[in-house]
Amino acid sequence: MIMERGQALLLPVSPLFIIVSLVGAVVLSMLLGLAQALWLPDVLAVCIFFWGIHQPRRVGMAIAFILGLWMDVQQSSLMGQHALCYVLLNYFAYNMHRRLLWFPIKEQMIQILPFFILADALGLLIRMSTGDDFPGWSLLLVPFLETMLWPAANFILLAPQRRAHDPDANRPL
Amino acid sequence: MALDSLDRSPPPFFRVGFAPLTKLIFFGTLSLVLMYGDKQLQFTQPIRAGLSTLVMPVQWLVLQPGQAMSYIGKHFQTLAQAQQELETAQRKALSQSASSQQVAQLQIENQSLRQLMGLQNKLASASQVAEVLFDVPDPYNQRIVIDKGSFKDVVLGSPVIDAGGVVGQVTRVYPLSAEVTLLTDRDQSIPVLNSRTGARNITSGDILMGVPSIELKFVPASADVKEGDLLTTSGIDGVYPAGLMVGRISHIERRVDISFARIHAVPLAELKGRHILVLQPTGAQPGAKGKTP
Repeated sequence: MIMERGQALLLPVSPLFIIVSLVGAVVLSMLLGLAQALWLPDVLAVCIFFWGIHQPRRVGMAIAFILGLWMDVQQSSLMGQHALCYVLLNYFAYNMHRRLLWFPIKEQMIQILPFFILADALGLLIRMSTGDDFPGWSLLLVPFLETMLWPAANFILLAPQRRAHDPDANRPL
Repeated sequence: MALDSLDRSPPPFFRVGFAPLTKLIFFGTLSLVLMYGDKQLQFTQPIRAGLSTLVMPVQWLVLQPGQAMSYIGKHFQTLAQAQQELETAQRKALSQSASSQQVAQLQIENQSLRQLMGLQNKLASASQVAEVLFDVPDPYNQRIVIDKGSFKDVVLGSPVIDAGGVVGQVTRVYPLSAEVTLLTDRDQSIPVLNSRTGARNITSGDILMGVPSIELKFVPASADVKEGDLLTTSGIDGVYPAGLMVGRISHIERRVDISFARIHAVPLAELKGRHILVLQPTGAQPGAKGKTP
């Protein structure tokens, strides 16, 4: 067991929490979708990438693909557009999951930004190639905002694993 | 500390599944096939309809808190506001009463005249009221989702109108809901009649200076078009009933080097309220076929 010095030992992840977090991300993306703003980040993409980094054996490309199809139906976009982006994100996450967690969080963000840019550019490319108009420049903010969500995702999604392994009266959580 | 409380178990030795690259190629190809199928062959509609029956209830549930809030908000709006709205509505009804009283008589007169002239009777469209659930969050096109689907006899291609005029057309039908593409979507066209000159044209959606509008296509630069002209449906397409308001010409650009004028119109559909009217396509109505003279 090789770990970085000072890194906290985490409790094992609960599969139920992974499901809850993914469902929560889907619901959150529905709510964000109601706002009709171009620049809003895709929280589900961040969530899939996060679990692809932290639990690559639990959240794989099949789950990313199915959630992508769900998003395609929900957003009424081209069938397979989100699916391809999420599968690609999950693949990149798998490829870098051993390396990325050795870096502090800021350096992690620098490393994951290109992949979010790539995934969003792919979505844009797919739609432009099927004859849609360019929707607006604020779309370019999306990958940066998704990267900004990374510390928050780390805080929220790892919180259940940061609890004490032997809770007592003084440490209920 | 028990060992099983640590999340550092080694990966399985033998059952590791497919290589990630294999999976990427498999799912990537599958997505590409789906995309091609969705755009070119339209075979993904059953998959979409099936998935949408799963998605819609969740989406409906997510919408509920917001709707409850707006309902409560409306419930507690002041009495004065309600009275004012009532007064406006009454005044509007009064101003419309004269014309609505004439309509019945005019319809009879029109019918008898048409019979005299041997023309086909103008068909009255069957319609049903539907509620707008939300705007489709896809930034690339302009669509809304309504709460009536194929279970309520909404068919593909149905025209959709509101108090102001034509909203658009039903372009995807699911069992419990349907998608309406607005006239301002670039893929949506509607045949129109300039009510001042009687010229027939086709429009399609366009974005003029950031505002979604509709553009009149293939109008010669010398054509008689003025700003403020009213566009109505021409009724020759077999989809839209004739005489529905579509838009008002707002912007005309005539250039020497292009033989067509660039003409834009503002859609008259209000899209403010939550309710719209879904009409039956005129061509799909019983008795519409085989009667053409």
